[in-house]
Amino acid sequence: MRESKIMFLQYLTGLLILVFGGLHFLALSFLTPSPDKQLYVYQSATNHTLVGGALYYNYVLDIYKNLAWAAVFELFLTVVTFHAFNGFRIILSEQFSGPTASKVISYSMLIIGLIVFIWGTRTILLAFLG
Amino acid sequence: MLIDNKKGWISWFNPIKYGMDRWLFALHRLTGIFIGLYLIAHIFETSNILKGPLTWNNLMVFLDWPFGVHLGPYILSILLLAVVFHGFNGLRLTIVENGLMLTKPYRPDYPYEPKSLKGWNLGLKILTAILMIVIGIIGIVYIFTGVLL
Repeated sequence: MRESKIMFLQYLTGLLILVFGGLHFLALSFLTPSPDKQLYVYQSATNHTLVGGALYYNYVLDIYKNLAWAAVFELFLTVVTFHAFNGFRIILSEQFSGPTASKVISYSMLIIGLIVFIWGTRTILLAFLG
Repeated sequence: MLIDNKKGWISWFNPIKYGMDRWLFALHRLTGIFIGLYLIAHIFETSNILKGPLTWNNLMVFLDWPFGVHLGPYILSILLLAVVFHGFNGLRLTIVENGLMLTKPYRPDYPYEPKSLKGWNLGLKILTAILMIVIGIIGIVYIFTGVLL
């Protein structure tokens, strides 16, 4: 793919990340199913057993089991993985120039990016279905 | 030019001869690397949701109180600031790198002041800086107090 087209995708995914990233923040704050709109609710000030809050297991799982949120997370994962690993590729390509280095960097980033994407998709799917 | 390139990433931090845009460039790259590495850790961290409530809740507590020290809010705040900076600076870059909010092309005359960095472009920088500060404050207040402004 031409570099200008890849850069266009980098801009596009960047804009989409702002939208999905904002939704991700809302999922853990204003829109959390937890009655306590904060990240952590502990048993007491000295007993750090998690009993509630947006990051409590049941409330996080409630979000994963919601089809709309699962779709948002999957789309977010897709655009953020592309944006991040293409960003790494650009930075590394500027440091190590030459056609061989370029190929090694591109394929390495593609493989690592795919692993991260597949692992994240696995989490979203299994949590949604499980 | 070739000598400059040979310096590699160290040249990101060369403030001599370069202005604010150079620093924004360096910070954009640094925050990008930081967020990218966090993303990889985050994807593997969140997969622990599949291991059940005990593992998940214990992991969340560990991330908030690593080794018994309440570092969680500070780590999240650093991440938030990096994300807010990278996000809004990225938005600014998307606008200006596509030729928007720049001056019309002009003949370079002595003393070769870059007009393209003034006017709308400068206004855009100020606007993004204000947005960064406002969103940053809202995020940090929420992380530390649970209050969403």
